[in-house]
Amino acid sequence: MLSCNDICLDYVEATRVTHALKGVSLDFSPNKLHGIMGPSGSGKSSLLYILCGLKSPTAGNVALDGTSITNMSDAACARLRSQKFGFVFQQPFLLNYLTALENILVGINPDELSASVQKAESLLSYLGLDGMGDKYPSMLSGGERQRVAVARALIGNPDIVFADEPTAALDKDNGYKVMSALADWAVDHTVIVVTHDADMLKGADVIHHLIGGCLVDDQSSNVR
Amino acid sequence: MRHPLSPFTYLTRNPSKVLPMGFVIVLCVFLIAAVASIANSIDLTVRTIYRYTEFFTYVIPQRSTQSVPMDQRAILEMQPEIDRIIEGGVFFVNIKTVVGRLPFVVIGSTPEERDYLLKRIGATLIEGRMPEDGKPEVVVSQPILENRNLKLGDVIAGPLDDGGIAGSPVPVKVVGVLKSDIWVAMSSRTFTDKTFLLTPKCLLFTTKVPSDLDVVNERLMPVGRKGDGFLSPEKVNVLTRANLLAEVRDSLSSMYMIMEVVSATVIFVIALMSGMLSNIYFTQRIPEFGVLAALGISRARLMMKIVWETVILTVIAWAIGSVLSVFLLTYLAANVFKQRGLFLDAMDPWAYQHTLPIPVAITIFAMVTVWVRLKRLDAVSVIERR
Repeated sequence: MLSCNDICLDYVEATRVTHALKGVSLDFSPNKLHGIMGPSGSGKSSLLYILCGLKSPTAGNVALDGTSITNMSDAACARLRSQKFGFVFQQPFLLNYLTALENILVGINPDELSASVQKAESLLSYLGLDGMGDKYPSMLSGGERQRVAVARALIGNPDIVFADEPTAALDKDNGYKVMSALADWAVDHTVIVVTHDADMLKGADVIHHLIGGCLVDDQSSNVR
Repeated sequence: MRHPLSPFTYLTRNPSKVLPMGFVIVLCVFLIAAVASIANSIDLTVRTIYRYTEFFTYVIPQRSTQSVPMDQRAILEMQPEIDRIIEGGVFFVNIKTVVGRLPFVVIGSTPEERDYLLKRIGATLIEGRMPEDGKPEVVVSQPILENRNLKLGDVIAGPLDDGGIAGSPVPVKVVGVLKSDIWVAMSSRTFTDKTFLLTPKCLLFTTKVPSDLDVVNERLMPVGRKGDGFLSPEKVNVLTRANLLAEVRDSLSSMYMIMEVVSATVIFVIALMSGMLSNIYFTQRIPEFGVLAALGISRARLMMKIVWETVILTVIAWAIGSVLSVFLLTYLAANVFKQRGLFLDAMDPWAYQHTLPIPVAITIFAMVTVWVRLKRLDAVSVIERR
């Protein structure tokens, strides 16, 4: 289980200190879709990056199954992200010189490549991208590109998927398709989605609200 | 299926980023190989033109005497390895070289001595005839004819020849052509004796076993220690392959040093430029590396990816540059330089050794610049740049 305890994040600019997160503590129980909602600047993306080890908090601790990841070395943290986590960003960030299939396989270890190709093709099919494996990102629509990014996040069979505004750049239809795929994944994995769009979190198990860097309303009830 | 992060994937799918750098390396390799080959060709030119010194040695009297003193000749006669000692009259014809016109010796000998020397160097008459006794005629090997652009019956030396000691008071014609790679020109002893009255007579000697020539030469007048040999440097000079090369290398040492400095500067500038190019390309690829880092690809693996991309690119470009250099220099050697008396080895290993630092320097520069950028890479700032 992923949990964070008393997370604080301060940005210092010259003499001015901005408190982006003020003592956030959360437990993310497994096999659930967790939503983190809040207005722009509420600190939800920062919290997500701290949870996945991409950013270090000013204070507090993040633990995965009881082991702290906050003070891990860069290399250990990269290994953890590669083996346990999957990521979907606001933009797909596909490599434009790789095909859709290759983009999905980009994070796979070379010795697992052959075994992962079929799985990648299955994911493409599952995400409604049949026959698009050999297409380059420039040949795909925005929604298709984001679904390729979802497949890239899921290919390593991660325990936890982190999604930062995954539907922000998509229309409603494509947004629902992406969220539907993430919700399916949350049946037997943990998915944490940051968004400001309440519609997209209709299928979430738990929604946490952040305002001004503080957790204001921890809804631990099932809202699905 | 090749891994998406394989360096080959990036290199083959991004020609617009890869080719300019590859092109710069190819040109750089050609530049260095050409400069080094041309510099080294002077040595090769001397070795080619004076290759007859591999078969016999000249002993030339010092300026004050017309022939080799008897005591010096006696020393030669005492050397057990020596096969024959031949006294020859000489005169000189001009040949074209990279450093301008140079006099090339024509040996005046008896028919029997001439046949002996030609047999020793393996030269055979393929066109015309041998010079007649006392007549202004010469037989020359093919490379001399090509160098002077002459044919059978043409005048090779005459009263109007330019240059210091080359020329003849009467026109001297080419009457025979020898098949041989070795530059050699021969006339009759009677002709040289009656025409070149003031030119000193020199001695030529051969050894019973040709490979002993160097040993005997070194004993008679060691290279760099003339006074330590059996022969007296005050009375005679000895023209051997070893001292000829030593003199050439000594006189060219400054030029070689300048070439090394030029070559090192070019390599440094190219490496610096390539490092900067790598940096620019890396800047363009920051989103790529930021995302890969966020996905869990370690910085060490990203660094290795860049290193391999650079190594593969530079090695391939170096190989293409080397092959291109071989072809271009072969063409230039045959069609441009040879006619000008410059012998250039298009596959001179020394020249290509000088190009080896190019891929090494570029890889090191690229690695250092990219590593600094990679160390500072913040994946979140890349992802959040919306």
